[in-house]
Amino acid sequence: MKSLMISCKKATLLVSKKEENRLSWLEKWQLRAHMALCSMCRRFEEQSGFIGRMARQMQVHETLPDASKDKMQQALTREH
Amino acid sequence: MSHSLLNPDRWINDYADALYSYTVPRVNDTALAEDLVQETFLSAWKARDSFKGQASEKSWLFTICKNKIIDHYRKKARDITQSMPEFTTPEGSFDEAEHWIPESQPGHWDIQQQPTDSKEFYAILEQCRKKLQEMQQAVFSMKYLEDLDAAEICKVLNITASNYWVLIHRAKLQLRGCLEKNWIHLK
Repeated sequence: MKSLMISCKKATLLVSKKEENRLSWLEKWQLRAHMALCSMCRRFEEQSGFIGRMARQMQVHETLPDASKDKMQQALTREH
Repeated sequence: MSHSLLNPDRWINDYADALYSYTVPRVNDTALAEDLVQETFLSAWKARDSFKGQASEKSWLFTICKNKIIDHYRKKARDITQSMPEFTTPEGSFDEAEHWIPESQPGHWDIQQQPTDSKEFYAILEQCRKKLQEMQQAVFSMKYLEDLDAAEICKVLNITASNYWVLIHRAKLQLRGCLEKNWIHLK
């Protein structure tokens, strides 16, 4: 039974492995046992998933300054 | 001529902003993003004869740009992995018994639905990402923005799988703490 007991540090590391389906059979049970008892690590897992989802959906609409575009155009024209 | 399928005269007008918008969050640096976009156009011009028209001109340019970004991570990793400072600094979120220290304990976040002001969230996320160590930033971008898997990321950055898990673990701990401190709507 002792081998099922893992620390919060280890549990939060396993959360990342879990997200990529990289847990071994033992790690799966270690994480499950830890999460059953630790509300802090359950929060961490939930928030970690949230950060990942938000990051994946990040949409950025940036506009390059005209001066930069002109510079690019000149560089490209030089290659012609 | 295969490159008659391409319209290089219109590239900058048609794609510069889109490529720039793609690159900025991935490298988290506007000046660098501008350089990478310019290099994308120059490389595309040099490679124009290899364009066979199977993909659209747009997705061809995006592929070149994506490779530039990954190359950038690769070079950066080569520069910093010499010393690997992030593996020697202790992880500060836990005590000796590896329990959460009080300041690092996750608080309650109300995240049942999308944040109403996601613009603000992303602005804070960007600031928090800038505080990560460079290797953590690289791993975070490649995982979440490029959607590469662990094996690909390890290959590009030339790190072991266990280094990768430590990097992503520390990046998340730090981002989570930073977001909790700064994203006031969560409180």
